Amino acid sequence: MRNLNRLSIPAGALLTLLVSALWAAPASGQAPADPNAAPAAPAAPEAAAMPAKKEAPAPAAGGQSFSFRLDPLVIGVLDTHVDTRSAKFEEYRDVSSGFVLPYFHLAGESADGNRTLDLNAHDVRRTDARYTLDYAVAGKYELYFDYNKIPHRFGNDGHMLWTRTGDGTLEIADPTQAQIQGALAAQFAKNPAGINFSFLNGLLAPYLATARAINLGLERDRSDTRLDLGKMGPLALSIEYTHENRRGNRPFGASFGFSNATEVPEPIDYNTDGAQLAGEWRGPRGGLQVGYRYSKFANNISTLIWDNPFRATDSTDPNAYTAPGAGSINGASRGFADLAASNRANMAFANGQAKLPGGWWVNGSALYDQMKQSDPLLPYTLNTAIVGIAGNGAKFDPTNPANLPARSFDGKVGITSLTGNAGNRFGAFDLTFRYRYYDYNDKSPRLEFPGYVRFQSVWENIARISVPYSYSRQNAGAELGWQVHPTTRLALALDNESWNREFREVKKTDENVWKLSADTRPNQRFTVRGSYEHGDRTIGAYNTAAQGASFVEPEAITNLPDLRKFDEAARTYNSWKLQAQVFATDEINLSLGTTGRKDDYTKSLFGLKSDDVKAYNAEISYTPGANRDFFLFGERMDRRSLQNARQSGATPSTNPLDNWAADLKEITDTWGLGWTEKFAKAWTLDLTGNLSRSDGQARFPRPLGANPPGVGFDNYEDIKLLALLGKLDYAVTPATTVGLFYRYEKYTIDSFILQGLQNYLPGALLLNANNGNYKGSIYGLTMKHVF
Amino acid sequence: MKPSRFTMLLLGTVAALAIAARAGAAPQAPAAPTAAPAAAAGAATFVGSDVCASCHDQAAEHLAKTPHGKAAFAHLSTNGCETCHGPGSAHVANPDDKALQPRIDRLTPPEQSKICVTCHSGSEQFFWRGSRHETRGLSCITCHSVHSFKSERAQLKTATAMEQCFTCHKDTRAETWKNSHHPIREGKISCADCHNPHGTQTAKMIRGASVNEQCYTCHTEKRGPFLWEHAPVRESCLNCHTPHGSNHLKLQKTSVPYLCQQCHSNTRHPGTLYDGSTLADQARASNRIFNRACLDCHSAIHGSNHPSSPYLAH
Repeated sequence: MRNLNRLSIPAGALLTLLVSALWAAPASGQAPADPNAAPAAPAAPEAAAMPAKKEAPAPAAGGQSFSFRLDPLVIGVLDTHVDTRSAKFEEYRDVSSGFVLPYFHLAGESADGNRTLDLNAHDVRRTDARYTLDYAVAGKYELYFDYNKIPHRFGNDGHMLWTRTGDGTLEIADPTQAQIQGALAAQFAKNPAGINFSFLNGLLAPYLATARAINLGLERDRSDTRLDLGKMGPLALSIEYTHENRRGNRPFGASFGFSNATEVPEPIDYNTDGAQLAGEWRGPRGGLQVGYRYSKFANNISTLIWDNPFRATDSTDPNAYTAPGAGSINGASRGFADLAASNRANMAFANGQAKLPGGWWVNGSALYDQMKQSDPLLPYTLNTAIVGIAGNGAKFDPTNPANLPARSFDGKVGITSLTGNAGNRFGAFDLTFRYRYYDYNDKSPRLEFPGYVRFQSVWENIARISVPYSYSRQNAGAELGWQVHPTTRLALALDNESWNREFREVKKTDENVWKLSADTRPNQRFTVRGSYEHGDRTIGAYNTAAQGASFVEPEAITNLPDLRKFDEAARTYNSWKLQAQVFATDEINLSLGTTGRKDDYTKSLFGLKSDDVKAYNAEISYTPGANRDFFLFGERMDRRSLQNARQSGATPSTNPLDNWAADLKEITDTWGLGWTEKFAKAWTLDLTGNLSRSDGQARFPRPLGANPPGVGFDNYEDIKLLALLGKLDYAVTPATTVGLFYRYEKYTIDSFILQGLQNYLPGALLLNANNGNYKGSIYGLTMKHVF
Repeated sequence: MKPSRFTMLLLGTVAALAIAARAGAAPQAPAAPTAAPAAAAGAATFVGSDVCASCHDQAAEHLAKTPHGKAAFAHLSTNGCETCHGPGSAHVANPDDKALQPRIDRLTPPEQSKICVTCHSGSEQFFWRGSRHETRGLSCITCHSVHSFKSERAQLKTATAMEQCFTCHKDTRAETWKNSHHPIREGKISCADCHNPHGTQTAKMIRGASVNEQCYTCHTEKRGPFLWEHAPVRESCLNCHTPHGSNHLKLQKTSVPYLCQQCHSNTRHPGTLYDGSTLADQARASNRIFNRACLDCHSAIHGSNHPSSPYLAH
């Protein structure tokens, strides 16, 4: 058992907070909130409630004193136990043992009511904390601040041979590299065929046994500061600034070739800053919004360099991309990757809406976004043994960035988006027209390279050229609605979506989508919503040689000529949604629903053939009064996709016996349960439970006579998560509640892709961090007080 | 011939300005809300909130703690309760006459929303008119409650935006419980971070001008542009990912390697069948099926800036 003990909140900080709260309390003058308030269930329909009239106050006056109330303050203690080191247990949260301050809300108001302040704090000082602050001066401005910490843990206790010696540098001790290289060379000289998994596994085993442990995960610290001036008035202005720092590490495929797919922790240190200035004008017959937004992404670690565990010195040969193996033991002593490039974007936008004569309404938007990226280009390789060959046959040093065709990419994309909608009502009918145009225009230069270095190991004398893929998309449609009855509306819509692409296999696609929808709410107790959609996409010529756009010299086609990439293939689809909600009585609410969508690519011989998702859900809730609330929810989602492929050697096969298919099925059951019971005046019992269980199967049908037959498996991601929470609260006084809770979670995963993973597997040196099964228990004691 | 982007942008801006100018012929300050429950309005007159509170004292007490009961509201209207509920004299005269009760929940959804839109027609609600939720018969009070809300912000009927959305979007609720998910159920992000339920100009009420631009707000490192692009990535993240939840790593629609093989059935290794024949003994398995499969090598799948990475390996 593992006892998580990570958090320690300085006692001084806590004391300060509590003293502040107590200081504020007497000044509040506000009635404490009812701690026995109903739990978070959907509220009843709006009743004919009438508040007391407040005199219109005078504008905010400076110096007016503030009264504060703490409503509520929740403090507690957690005791957490988990039986494994799986990072999944704390994937997006911090539930480590120790003192906790799960929530407090500090509300302040000036004596004249013109100034208000709201401070909300969740999980104070934890790695998943969130704080929001809202300060408003009535009729003048509002300042909002949000600070949100989001952890994301990928795995614990991975093992790696590398040591991080610089921001983006991962090194293996030189003697270790030399020893491994020496052993490989000796075996290669003796018997190259002996360099197999067994040999390599034995070679690395002693080093892996003493390898350092590493936890993989990120922490996002996000802040959002926004100032609204003149909110709700005819003229409003808003200024917003956002900042995010993301740091940590994540697993990264850092391959040296087909037989040496190393995995390393990619160090992450990102800063993203955004700013927006927007203005809004509202009139009785319309409005206009205009604004400018700037966004900048900076990667503070733009290059990753990592040592090759199997090479201490640089070398190359034509087969080095398959090393280490019987064909070669050569390659680079270190690899390097260009991590996410820093970039920036500028956007200007305008939105408008208006009521026009004759009952017409219109709205629309215009936007232009420019995205740029000008990171310096890295050289072709760090492998000093490689000689580059230029287009004219001249040799050059590929480790020198001066030999690149450009020192930076200087990529630039312009995005234009225009939309317009108009509608009107004609008696029982309504008509709406919609139009959207979106153009992604990649204006980046086409950089031509005489060749490239394959897997850090071999110069490939194949000239390549970058491809600025661009496209535009247009949607035009109309919807006719018919108010059959004041409570029932039927609608029929037709939408046409057309794409125009550059450089891809299909230049033009055209899709017509018919949609029929019905919504009825004959009374307060019964609501049914349903829709059915049918889409039919036709395509222009499919250019099987489209990949040639990234080659300087014509290359042989390597993809199957009859394969159609699903995102630009002809297809038909049918989808539906149906949801019915019935308030059978004032106490019982029943909901039944189904959704589904089936995409068929009947004209594609290879590639995705069909994708079919169906889901059925039901929920019942029972709320006989303020003291009891119960609900049970369940859904089954059934998904099946089918795709065809064909195995080939050096050239695309034409032999049907090389065909194979992947028939992938997933069934996911989700259950939710909630029960709140108030009893003996002061007690509240809360029970909640969730169960998510997926069961997948993969089958690989092959033609009769194909050898070998496809072997299916039954762990196409079989996953189960059970989460149970029991909570018992006792209201000591109307303002004070103490509570106990217990949370139990059990998570299991049986996945083909993670099955039997070890640090070293054929052709792969993995971190193998633990993100697997766990059973966890969290015991908690809380106290909530309203000051 | 395709019009230039500049021309399109110019036309769009001119059109927006023209519409705004046309609409702006009317006076400036937002008119005091006048929409009211039809049955109660009639020739009734305003009686003042004190009269309302003399019977509806609990409601008055609740409202006093809400934005509609505070000074900010009084700056917009001096009619108090009757700002939304309409003049109350007829109801006061005949309080037992149900037809005269100014109950907003008895109005049709458009009538309900019309009351709110009197003030809330800008900012987030700018595109409410013609939005999917509006045309499908929802109203403001389907999700929001003026008197008895439970959320920290936005006066929702439930404690969080997620819970509110899930009252109708049940399938999405189930998806968030899948193994790979955004931190929605953990409360670190909300449905409303990506969607504006009041309406946008983009399909599915996405806030961004496209799905990708929405994703880039958090995943800015994938924005590029890159030297070596992966075309379907650039067109839509949804080609490979399903944002509400997945049983597969990284919100993949289908697990790798099969996801990649839906498009790449090339000669040699991309078209090879990676089946279950070696799974029982990983010591015989291909490094193209375990761990992250294709991504064990093609780690720069969203685009690469490395001169030697036309195959998006690093």
